[in-house]
Amino acid sequence: MHIPDGYLGPATSGVMYVLMLPVWISASKMAKKTLKAKQVPLLAIGAAFSFVIMMFNVPIPGGTTGHAVGAVLVAILLGPWAACIAVTVALVVQALLFGDGGITAIGANCFNMAFIEVFAGYYIYKLISGKSATASGRRVIVAGIAGYIGINIASLSAAIMFGIQPLLHRAADGQSLYCPYGLGVAIPAMLGEHMLVFGWVEAIVTALVVKYLQKQDPTLLEAVEEVSR
Amino acid sequence: MKRNNFIERSLVGTLVFLKESVFSDDYAARRAFLQGLDPRCKLAAILMLLLAVMFSRNIYFLAGMYALCLLLAVSSSIRLGFFLKRTWVFIPLFSLFIAVPAIFEVFTPGQAVARLQLFGLSLTITRQGLASAGFFFIRVLTSVSLCVLLVLTTRHYALLKALRFFKIPQVFVMTAGMCYRYIYLFIEIIENTYLAIKSRVGTVPSTKKGQMVVAWNIGGLWQRSYTLHNQVYSAMVSRGYTGEPRDMNEFSAAGIDFLWLGTAFLILGLSLWQTYYLN
Repeated sequence: MHIPDGYLGPATSGVMYVLMLPVWISASKMAKKTLKAKQVPLLAIGAAFSFVIMMFNVPIPGGTTGHAVGAVLVAILLGPWAACIAVTVALVVQALLFGDGGITAIGANCFNMAFIEVFAGYYIYKLISGKSATASGRRVIVAGIAGYIGINIASLSAAIMFGIQPLLHRAADGQSLYCPYGLGVAIPAMLGEHMLVFGWVEAIVTALVVKYLQKQDPTLLEAVEEVSR
Repeated sequence: MKRNNFIERSLVGTLVFLKESVFSDDYAARRAFLQGLDPRCKLAAILMLLLAVMFSRNIYFLAGMYALCLLLAVSSSIRLGFFLKRTWVFIPLFSLFIAVPAIFEVFTPGQAVARLQLFGLSLTITRQGLASAGFFFIRVLTSVSLCVLLVLTTRHYALLKALRFFKIPQVFVMTAGMCYRYIYLFIEIIENTYLAIKSRVGTVPSTKKGQMVVAWNIGGLWQRSYTLHNQVYSAMVSRGYTGEPRDMNEFSAAGIDFLWLGTAFLILGLSLWQTYYLN
């Protein structure tokens, strides 16, 4: 899911930065408007939390492991605008401070994970859970569904970005200059692995963490209202 | 032991992460070429070089840029073995792995250069396919190398302060700075938790139970960190935080910084000229 530098050409990278600019400005304004000064550390905690979620290896059937992105979980816990900033910061810290690369692709990565995954997952969760009680079993299942759909929509977006590279940037003799696979290969490859493996990991982690918090401290699941009040 | 695999992997992952971070700090403190540059000029120059790599359509230019990265690593007192290990694992090797199928005619049609018989299948390697895979790999490798050079030779607070100079909104920069510190705290918590599980439970009986263990850890981590934010805010206020962060150190750029910036600008110009004028 994390797109490194060199996979996307200048057109896609540039357009994604341009598309994300109003989102970042809106998120920044919303955070300033809705967050009290004392909740500023919460954003940093959310960003660090979304960073370290990727370090948890989740066992999956067959003896292997996978890891979640956690963007939908952070959106459920902090609300979509704060989660957008938190995931953006996590991606920037990963690219800039830990040298994992992806500086030219920050716009694209944020579009997929801090915008599409966060907002799609959050609104699916809000829509299906409706007015059910915070501690209801319905919310656990809905959190899993939101996590699964959120990551799959984001992976489809990433696949489209990869797949259009040979169409946008090709040398005169037909060689690709960036990601060498077209839509016909990129979409089934990305969607296949996310629908079959990583989507389930995301769903399991999102649902089980919501279940854990329902038992241990349900107020943390209501904190999103407090954050945006 | 197989059931505990996810505990082992998480533990190894966190330990490697902490070890690499300690090494990174050590390199940033050395007195050498890149470390001596003004962080603003260094960041701007690395961004220009990244753009030069992104825009280039000439494989020799990309190879030259990679050679420049190695030269910069050596002139910045970074051990070449460490630098190569850090830059080749994981992204470039993964990219090489996914680039390999692109050499075949199935994915990149073109002029045949060789034929292979694999599991009864006849596969044709094309010149365009080899060039596509080569381009893709060297571009990714050079980009990762530039990012690693920036990170290894710059202290994180200087890098964040340099971002403020480029008018990145304060909420992002401040959050990134605090996030960086929290990551270490959280990594330590994860490491301790997994060690505790390993020493007390021994084996995790099933995949389902294993998933529960991970979810409890993530949930517990959030619970612990959420209660922390009030304490952190109180600590900030007691140290004089009024809603606007203040910087204590000022940067100062010298002749060498502008020379480096000018060189990066020329390289970017050369890349754009090659791409849009020569082609």
